[in-house]
Amino acid sequence: MVSKTEEDQVNRLESQVENGGGGEWEYLCLVRKLKLRRSYNVLKYGLSILNDPKKRSAIGPEEWTLYEQVAAAAMDCQRLDLAKDYVKVLLEKFPESKRVGRLEAMLLEAMGLWEEAEKAYSSLLEDNELDPVIHKRRVAMAKAQGNISGAIEWLNKYLEIFMVDHDAWRELAEIYVSLQMYKQAAFCYEELILSQPTIPLYHLAYADVLYTLGGLENLHMAYKYYASTIDLTGGKHTRALFGICLCTSAIDQLTRGRNKDDKENLQLAPLSALALGKDYKQRAPNKVSMLASTLRSLKLSS
Amino acid sequence: MGVGFAVGVLGVLILSHAAYFTIQYRSLLKITEEQFSGPPINVVMELIAGLVLCMWAALTVPGKFLSILPQSDENQVVALPANLDFMIFNHRGKTLPSSMDAKFK
Repeated sequence: MVSKTEEDQVNRLESQVENGGGGEWEYLCLVRKLKLRRSYNVLKYGLSILNDPKKRSAIGPEEWTLYEQVAAAAMDCQRLDLAKDYVKVLLEKFPESKRVGRLEAMLLEAMGLWEEAEKAYSSLLEDNELDPVIHKRRVAMAKAQGNISGAIEWLNKYLEIFMVDHDAWRELAEIYVSLQMYKQAAFCYEELILSQPTIPLYHLAYADVLYTLGGLENLHMAYKYYASTIDLTGGKHTRALFGICLCTSAIDQLTRGRNKDDKENLQLAPLSALALGKDYKQRAPNKVSMLASTLRSLKLSS
Repeated sequence: MGVGFAVGVLGVLILSHAAYFTIQYRSLLKITEEQFSGPPINVVMELIAGLVLCMWAALTVPGKFLSILPQSDENQVVALPANLDFMIFNHRGKTLPSSMDAKFK
């Protein structure tokens, strides 16, 4: 969960390092802590540290973690020669290590040698059956080869054992959404919201999936979850405000013929329209007229 | 930091002095066999002064307070972590020319 202060900090450090102001090690540590995927920068600055023996000795025993981080970044940037060198250095230092074994298998994956990578992962799994990272790498390999149903199967098996892994649930939800299996994706998002109820992004994604599914009940639920997203972000999330307006107009369309008494009160729409208007006036004043006409057309269609 | 700490120490000393004085006053009352209705007025003043000083020190010494509301500007969850465990290398970046010629020495 990257908060705004952390993001500002990372961006500040990044611009500082780019302009030659030093601080590469702090930047790399921060990227590692927040688990960001900025492989190009990590590779560039990691190389500058590792190629300079003075700087390398300055960081002491943490240079091996840096090797691991830069090796993964090199694989992501398709610099497989660099990655191979780093893995060799790590193998010399830690010959029997499972962590380096995993990195080696990742290198095989990056090179496209799927069978060798699969063999490497199975042999690593024989030594320790319940290593979550290896299971997840197998899922990633299936996904990389385009075998999405295989990836889903592996991921479901993994989640039967490790039910608490939020990242895995999120990955499964995204895979289902990419295959348009929205009911299953909704289930995954429900699990995520149950375990981490204070993160508004999960509520937003769940509301989006419900809105896409359609149907009166789902639209009502989507309305409620957009409202909870707005609650958790203090009314500042533009997408959730739009979601409320769209849900209200869709519900109105579906219940057009019914009796007025049956309709529930959906009073948030005018409020969210007001909030949107204020937000746009502040941040994008030249688009206020476009916003007004969109909102008017939503109300007209109901 | 130093000032707040010193003020806090002063506040604690004032409170302990007030406690000592109250105990002495009580033993004096036991000698004269009167009822202990409450501490004398100057002890009450000392207690209030000690309370104010200690509270001021407790609020200034720890440093900047962080906000805990999820809707405050600093705490907005901007992005979820990029799921590095499921990272695949088979992406479109393979076809981009590598602009980095650096080598590992």
